[in-house]
Amino acid sequence: MSSFADISSTARAENRVILTEQESKTVLKAINIPITEPILATNSKEAANISSDIGFPVALKIASQDITHKSDVGGVRLGIDSQEEIAEVFDQMINTVKKEAKGSSIDGITVQPMAPPGGVEVIIGVTRDHQFGPVIMFGLGGIAVEILQDVSFRIAPLTPIDAEEMIKEIKGYKMLTGYRSFKPANMDKLKDLLLKVSDLAMKESEISEMDLNPVFAYENDVVAADARIILTES
Amino acid sequence: MDKERKANLDRALNPKVIAVVGDKKITDYMWLKSVKDAKAKVYSVQIDENDIPGIEEMGIDNRKSISDIPEQVDYAIIAVPRPVLPFILADCIKNNVGAAAAFTSGFAETGEAEGIELQEKIITMTSEANFNLVGPNCMCMYHAKVGIRNTADQWIGEGGNIGFMSNSGTHATNFVIRARSNGLYPAKSISMGNSISIDQGDWLEYLGEDPDIEVIGMYIEGTRDGRKFFETLREVAQKKPVVIWKGGQTKEGARAAASHTGHLASDMALWDAMIRQTGAIRVDTQDELMDTMKALLMMKPFTGENMGIIAQTGGQSVLVSDAFGSEELKVPALTEKTHERLRPIVTVVGGSYKNPLDVSGSLTSVERATEMLNGLHDDPNTDIIVMESSIGFIQRRLEKQGQGLDTLIEGLKAFQESSTKPFGVIATWNQNEGELADFRKKVSDAGIAVFPTFQAGAGAIRKVRDYYQKKESLGTK
Repeated sequence: MSSFADISSTARAENRVILTEQESKTVLKAINIPITEPILATNSKEAANISSDIGFPVALKIASQDITHKSDVGGVRLGIDSQEEIAEVFDQMINTVKKEAKGSSIDGITVQPMAPPGGVEVIIGVTRDHQFGPVIMFGLGGIAVEILQDVSFRIAPLTPIDAEEMIKEIKGYKMLTGYRSFKPANMDKLKDLLLKVSDLAMKESEISEMDLNPVFAYENDVVAADARIILTES
Repeated sequence: MDKERKANLDRALNPKVIAVVGDKKITDYMWLKSVKDAKAKVYSVQIDENDIPGIEEMGIDNRKSISDIPEQVDYAIIAVPRPVLPFILADCIKNNVGAAAAFTSGFAETGEAEGIELQEKIITMTSEANFNLVGPNCMCMYHAKVGIRNTADQWIGEGGNIGFMSNSGTHATNFVIRARSNGLYPAKSISMGNSISIDQGDWLEYLGEDPDIEVIGMYIEGTRDGRKFFETLREVAQKKPVVIWKGGQTKEGARAAASHTGHLASDMALWDAMIRQTGAIRVDTQDELMDTMKALLMMKPFTGENMGIIAQTGGQSVLVSDAFGSEELKVPALTEKTHERLRPIVTVVGGSYKNPLDVSGSLTSVERATEMLNGLHDDPNTDIIVMESSIGFIQRRLEKQGQGLDTLIEGLKAFQESSTKPFGVIATWNQNEGELADFRKKVSDAGIAVFPTFQAGAGAIRKVRDYYQKKESLGTK
């Protein structure tokens, strides 16, 4: 498995500071953060075979070093249930992305398992402050973070108490304690995830920003369904 | 800060010999006056013939340069025009001065090339020589027991236990002045100014290790090295309470801070996060700073949430309960045993012997007040005891017994001494605000935490309660 150093030097050799989803998830997987693993397919037949192997439903995402906001250019399709649907979606996605993101190089489409339903969507972020260095952010995903900005911050390195407090500090914390059809999220796993992200941010000074968005928090586990790492300039 | 620098800074803060460089008639020799009562030999360094006679009239030995002073100088105060500062610093370095504090301003805070260049030059000089420079652009250092001051208006004497560090000279100065009229005893107050040589992290570490200092307060606009500050705060806040008053919280304030001391502000959300995770205490005004210090230093430590309250009247009992309720503290029901004890002494119809006590004129003597306080104190449902004292109302009743507010304060002091639970007084509203201020001063001087409003009392008690809770959680996990 490639180390962070290998991945970052490959990216820099290609004049990139934004790591792809696959690269970012490889970095996370190496430190035992659970992810949904994207596997690259270059045609719809390959995509269909991969899907059969990993089982439906799957998510298809465009694989391109030039595109960071995949869904903005029609490069994400979730919850695909059958071989037939794959065949249809694959070519459609390639065509749409070619139109919406002209000139982008496209490696293919990644296939990954859908995170199972019933998880609460959270996000974890890392930024680097000019005074304090790496800062960890935690919030509920979707509207809570985008509109309400219901997030908490801590300066890395986090202690287990910091991790617990930053989870409990957000206004939407009750969502994580069990709500309607949602089971209570596994707090130990969530804290452990925050601590791993904090360790990575402390260890790799080349990481300028990192987003795990969304992360699904379940009763027994957590899983990062998408991730992006941005390296420092130069 | 290495051992050598720390030892030199110790020497400057406890000087045997002080040199004041460039003090002037036009500023009424403010710096010589600030150290004239210090337990140290004071020299002046001044070459301007207009300024020298006034210095000699004060009986101070004036010299042409630091090198001309026949003894080793421990502490130099420098108030010279900015282009001259590097030359004076070179002299200080050559003569092994412990530390220099520069009142001189006009450096990076101006945002102009000349000032920025000069500041860079000074940074290089001081770091190469491992020399302690306080400021520049500062009001120097205050140390109560040795008699060095930010201004001659400040109190000096033994017994201080608060350390204060400030990016603003005004706040360093006024903190000391106001603290004394609030019954608080600052030991040291450092005006850090641009803090280019001894930075915020260094000062925090220094005050953290200072055995005289029990509580640290700071007014801070930014840090030179945020990482070092964070790591130092994490350690120091475990040893003693650190109260942080952050200036430049908004975009507007941050711009003012940049031109005041040249500090770049990070987002307030990050400061807030840092304060929470290190177990420091955040305040947003000087009033909150004073009240929080009182609750830290005058009240016994507490982690509970249950208030036992005496209010003088019904209206006050509602407001005081609201204030504590807003801070997520509780005003619980007392036990039946306590009710039986209080019922015969809270006798006025329309009053209440239930928590919060609405004594409505039943507080007819100091002895009665003490009985009520003891009633609340002995109840297992209370953690913290507070008395709302509308002094005009109390005074009219005590006078009938030939007692006055002074007797009451003695009674409150005796209660506090016998009490195992923390105790505070809220003294709000009176027809005669001057009398009220006098009462608060006397209560403070008796060593009792007194708060000027319900919100101030509730806010300070909550902050300090949260502090002790956090300290406990950090200590046990």
